[in-house]
Amino acid sequence: MTDVLLDVRGLSKSYRLPGGGSVEALRDVSFQLRRGEILGLVGESGSGKSSALRCIMGLLRPDEGTILYQGVNVWDSRQKRRNRELLQSSRQIVFQDSASCLNPRMNVAQLIAEPLAVHRKKLPYQQAVSLLSAVGLDAACLKRFPGELSGGQRQRVAIARALSAKPALLAADEPIAALDVSIQAQILNLFRRLQHDRGFSILFVAHDLAVVRWLCHRTAVLCRGRLVELAPTEALFRAPGHPYTKALLSAIPIPDPRRERARMPISFDPEDFQWDGTLREAEPEHFVLC
Amino acid sequence: MGNLLEIRNLSVSFDTPEGEIQAVRNVSFALREGEILAIVGESGCGKSVLCKSILKLLPDIARIKQGQILLENTDITQYRDADMRRLRGRVFSMVLQDPMTALNPAMTIGAQIEEAVGVHQKTTRNARRDRMRELLTLVGLRETDAGRFPHHLSGGQRQRAVLAAALAGNPKILFADEPTTALDVTIQAQILDLLRDIQRKLHTAMILVSHDLGVVARAADRVAVMYAGKIVEIGAAEDIFCDPRHPYTWGLLQSLPAFASPDSPLYAIPGMPPSLIDPPPGDAFACRNPYALEIDYREEPPMFAVSPDHFAATWLLDPRAPSVTPPFCHD
Amino acid sequence: MRLLWSLCRKCLLFSASLLILSLAVFYAARLAPGDPLASYYGDRVERMSADERARAEERLGLHEPIHTQYLRWLGGALKGEFGISFKYKTDVLDVISGRLVNTLLLGGGSLLLIFLLALPLGVFCVRFEDRWPDRLLCRLGAAVSCVPEFWLSLALILLFSVTLRLFPSSGAGQGTLDRLWHLVLPLSAVTAGHLWYAVFLVRGRLLEEVRMEYVLLAKSKGLSKACILFRHCLRNILPSYLSLMAVFAPHILGGTYVVEMVFSYPGLGALSYESARYRDYNLLMLLCILTGGAVMLFGMLAQVLGELLDPRLKREGDSHG
Repeated sequence: MTDVLLDVRGLSKSYRLPGGGSVEALRDVSFQLRRGEILGLVGESGSGKSSALRCIMGLLRPDEGTILYQGVNVWDSRQKRRNRELLQSSRQIVFQDSASCLNPRMNVAQLIAEPLAVHRKKLPYQQAVSLLSAVGLDAACLKRFPGELSGGQRQRVAIARALSAKPALLAADEPIAALDVSIQAQILNLFRRLQHDRGFSILFVAHDLAVVRWLCHRTAVLCRGRLVELAPTEALFRAPGHPYTKALLSAIPIPDPRRERARMPISFDPEDFQWDGTLREAEPEHFVLC
Repeated sequence: MGNLLEIRNLSVSFDTPEGEIQAVRNVSFALREGEILAIVGESGCGKSVLCKSILKLLPDIARIKQGQILLENTDITQYRDADMRRLRGRVFSMVLQDPMTALNPAMTIGAQIEEAVGVHQKTTRNARRDRMRELLTLVGLRETDAGRFPHHLSGGQRQRAVLAAALAGNPKILFADEPTTALDVTIQAQILDLLRDIQRKLHTAMILVSHDLGVVARAADRVAVMYAGKIVEIGAAEDIFCDPRHPYTWGLLQSLPAFASPDSPLYAIPGMPPSLIDPPPGDAFACRNPYALEIDYREEPPMFAVSPDHFAATWLLDPRAPSVTPPFCHD
Repeated sequence: MRLLWSLCRKCLLFSASLLILSLAVFYAARLAPGDPLASYYGDRVERMSADERARAEERLGLHEPIHTQYLRWLGGALKGEFGISFKYKTDVLDVISGRLVNTLLLGGGSLLLIFLLALPLGVFCVRFEDRWPDRLLCRLGAAVSCVPEFWLSLALILLFSVTLRLFPSSGAGQGTLDRLWHLVLPLSAVTAGHLWYAVFLVRGRLLEEVRMEYVLLAKSKGLSKACILFRHCLRNILPSYLSLMAVFAPHILGGTYVVEMVFSYPGLGALSYESARYRDYNLLMLLCILTGGAVMLFGMLAQVLGELLDPRLKREGDSHG
């Protein structure tokens, strides 16, 4: 299968607690990301979505499981050495808080050339300008520093930096959570347009389901470190299979007072649920943990 | 219903090395007894500063430039810290965004609630204990939770504990500054329903500050929309959501992904909020407003009454303005 | 059970560290140039023949290879025999015991003074944050803490002993009152040298605490500023203050050594200087073990105190993390 960009199999990760004992962040998570697809990873705090992203991006060593990126095992040191350039430049990440992950002492021109500088390549001026215009910034920004930019502009710079290496996979960890409503819409449009124009895949971690519904082709729901449901977004929202997904969907607020006040969220207590099941295909392409 | 709190022409500024930041500019509104008034706006629009200036919890570089704060027709604008202390807890109380940092990590929640009870009531230890247990039950916690430390509780439970401490002195007005922003989506509705419940039971008026229109829709009776330090539209929640009049309110509602069709791009308000160090003349929203009239760039629009209870500051409501069909209608 | 295990682990770690320390000091001392016989025999060493030297070395056990010497020393040390001092020609324990009291008096006294003074001064600074009392204290503290201890000691001697003739400039004195009298200047020097650092740390921690959101909330509950400062903030920094003091103790120990030299105060500081200078191996070993042990002990104490007093580090059966 050539259209699978990323294949995650049986990913598990637990963290040691300072006073002894451990907490399971991920347990046996498997999914595939296809070329040109936007996959949403959804869950509440502590669901393991950020851990999964970090394992995939090579920032966090998983305890178990394999992650094949274009057929290369990301955590196999020999394969990793041989495919360094592929792994480094074609996977890029955008974080939630761009203020803290852009070096404040580098100007925008240096920042967006950084992924190339790793491989001793340069970013020609013309390319830098076209990259900036692609994310909706003008050439005057090149000489500015992150501190002089607004939150939305910084996030655009972070996206431009990720795109400068022409990635095949863009991971986004809650990229709009720290932004204002009116700016969120701008950045979401940007993600969608860039993906459409350039055809890369996006792994989009979010807690806001309305956003995921609008942006993502397929959605994976995580709860307590387990993948509980994976389906095409429309199918997931139309007919959620897992009680946790149902609870999440019922929690989306409706910006209309009359309907919102009548909305009764479904409650879901993870303690009541058996977590030892396996992922089954309820409908074609629609997997539910049971 | 009478006005519990009335704000008249309030302006608050911060003196910084870069210049004077006009965080709140000439804001007037009234809070009625037992209602929940939501203040909505983006970060930096002055909504938190407005609340903190009423409570007088602003840092030293902030000052009230003009205006009056009337509490039950008493002017408290010039109150000093000692005077405010008598009001805090008993008249005003507050709930903050992040319940983790809002609780003292080294004290049990029971002790923190008890302390809040003891501030205004000099009673016996047992009476304080009883009141503390009563408060815990009121916010939906178990009495056995009293002996637990903040880090033993989940986010939602912590916010309940903060709320219990805030209600200890039977306040007339509760300020809730983004009370659900740090919580998980499935918990948010529970906390909002709890706020509504308390408002109904104790008849506490609330000022709910939020950037999230979904939160506001669930909890608020009335809504004030703030932009660049000013209230641009205020009215009953139904009016704001179903019959908005200010172009900024239109933009906010339109840009919600919940209303967007997956096939079309999201509506995004172009541009960015203006700097409050040197706000533009006229309507601050004019340069982002596709419906801006020429006068918007010159003269500040007054508050036009749409109905006796619904006001909006836009020249579009002037009888001389061309009529515009709102782009936004979600029914 | 967990407590017992962690106690065992700490003891093991402590012993292992001491062992490594003793090994390092033993080898470093023996390998450094210098003649240990000089401290035992004095000037006579120069007139000794090679034969006499060899016999002298044999008598002191210095002829064997270093590791044998070390093992012999270790065997003795485990039984509580640390050998004799070459210079004083008596058991090293006897040499030290008299002086240990003096150093404990000086070090312990200044630790107590710093402990009692740093907290109120820090609170005072925070209460008047960025107003003139705070600024004055901060400037003064910065100035004093920049002055090296030996210089400070000299300045104190010059002012109070030479010019004003109020306090004695050297020695430890006889009898309780006289001893205290002799202690005043060295104590002031050690305390002044370390106090400000502690005050700044308290001030910094407390300011950090005052900026926390729960303080804002406590204010909104109607608590007074002083009440918040004492009941919430101070209480929260107390655990770190105690462990701070435990971390401080070894620093103060180091400080007393310097000050003892300047005041010719008969404590361990002067003794360890001598023992290193005259290659008095056994004495040097014991002093190093004592000092090192004290430093490590206080470090562990700091850690244990921090764990015991901070509820966040404690674990509870029903906690969800």
